[in-house]
Amino acid sequence: MKTLKKYGKVWWIMSRNALSGAIYSKLSFLIFLLGKVVRFNFFVLFLFYLVKGTGSLAGYDINQTIFIFLTFNVIDIVGQFLFREVYRFKPLILGGDFDLILVRPTSSLFRGLMGGADFIDLFTIPILFIVLYFVGMNFHPQIGDVMLYILLLVNGLMITAAFHIFILGLYVRFLELDYVLWLYRDLLNLGKLPVGVYKQPLRDILVYLIPVATMITVPARAMMGFVSFWGVIVSILIGIVGILVSMRFWKYSLKYYTSASS
Amino acid sequence: MRNKYFSVCRISFIQELAYRSKFVVERLQSVLQIFLIFFLWDSVFSDPSREVFGYDRAKILTYVFGLLIVKAIVASTKASDVSGIISSGELTNYLLKPVGFVKYWFFRDISARGIHTAFAMVEVVILFVILRPPFFLQTNLVSLAGFLVLIVMAVIIFFLMLTLVSFIPFWLVEQTWPPIFLFLSVSEVLSGAVFPLDVFPYAIQKVLYLLPFPYLIFMPIQVYLGKVVGMELGRSLLTAGLWMVGLMIAVNWVWQRGLIHYRAEGR
Repeated sequence: MKTLKKYGKVWWIMSRNALSGAIYSKLSFLIFLLGKVVRFNFFVLFLFYLVKGTGSLAGYDINQTIFIFLTFNVIDIVGQFLFREVYRFKPLILGGDFDLILVRPTSSLFRGLMGGADFIDLFTIPILFIVLYFVGMNFHPQIGDVMLYILLLVNGLMITAAFHIFILGLYVRFLELDYVLWLYRDLLNLGKLPVGVYKQPLRDILVYLIPVATMITVPARAMMGFVSFWGVIVSILIGIVGILVSMRFWKYSLKYYTSASS
Repeated sequence: MRNKYFSVCRISFIQELAYRSKFVVERLQSVLQIFLIFFLWDSVFSDPSREVFGYDRAKILTYVFGLLIVKAIVASTKASDVSGIISSGELTNYLLKPVGFVKYWFFRDISARGIHTAFAMVEVVILFVILRPPFFLQTNLVSLAGFLVLIVMAVIIFFLMLTLVSFIPFWLVEQTWPPIFLFLSVSEVLSGAVFPLDVFPYAIQKVLYLLPFPYLIFMPIQVYLGKVVGMELGRSLLTAGLWMVGLMIAVNWVWQRGLIHYRAEGR
């Protein structure tokens, strides 16, 4: 509990500093926000007109398709909000400044992963949850469905965390490979649509290998009351294994840190 | 004169291939983006006899494959670097060189466009072999000529629009990436790079066609597919031409005004 409190305080201080940096140029902040809102709204509009014109998409109606897209956004935006520091991590390794993090009495992984939230997303997250609530209510879910949805959403964020930890490990181990982060973003984007849209073997890859479906489609299906008991168990197992493997990879990578350029 | 800009092209070609892993990843990203759009439409048109939004299966999947190539030709530009050059004061170095600044960037882009287009074509062949989609082959020479003319116009329009946005740091020195991010976000959607614009109701389409964005990707592919012919093709060429000329004048005007404001900050 004491450790949790300590890290909560550290996160708050680092995030406050990141916020000061972000709002230093208010115009930039507003333009970025506007860009994100434009992209989001146009895609919702597109899905709306598409499914209106076709009747359904891979068996999902308008509400269900939009709900899956909103769930994708929750995973993507909350992931970016929490793990934004990963995007700023590479220079620390290249310049050797990571030494200064290693000597601090806090976890170096925590600093690399959650060393400053992205506050642009703090403005979009509440609106996203409000829209999610209203679209979700159309399914008339039972309390159990909502609880399961939240549980699987947290599991999806755990898998997101695992991916980000793995990418941090790659930075430390190989110095380069920052494009893996962008590839991860592109793969995650495939989750904008129901996984049923994709054909085999891509569908299995998205369920088991790069579990985009586990992160997005499975929670959304839980809210619609479509998910099976074993589906939930397998999803949670993927989340736990993902975190454990990524943590192990991080520890392995740290052994190869050479403090280059410092 | 010709030799000077040819050298710019040649050096840019070498630079482009110097960072091979970055280049490969950029291409891989394009393919992944196409996967999303391909499977979306493949799912919608799982019934081969279906016709939606004026497309049949062959036409919509040709649209998707066309996206990969047209995007490589039109959007492979480094003009967004201009904002950073103005902001950092590096522009001073360029002003001392015996080259026209805007022309220099346009010729630099030719190499990037060439390489990206060549790779996009290889990718299309590979994806075609793997996914085996039906393909709409246009044989009408007028449509093919219209498609080629619109592509050339699209290249110029996109370059000019991006250059214009990149001139913002002349007045707002710190605004380098945010305006470009906003411009790219808007243009990606309104150009038809994510979905064909005829998904929208006709009233929205009518407004969109007055903007320059649909002439970047959507309209050239529509012309290739034979969905825009006759008077409509003429109207599209005229609108794109007007935008091109208007943007040329605007870029020249803003460039002249920008130079007056330029203070070489950071140097």
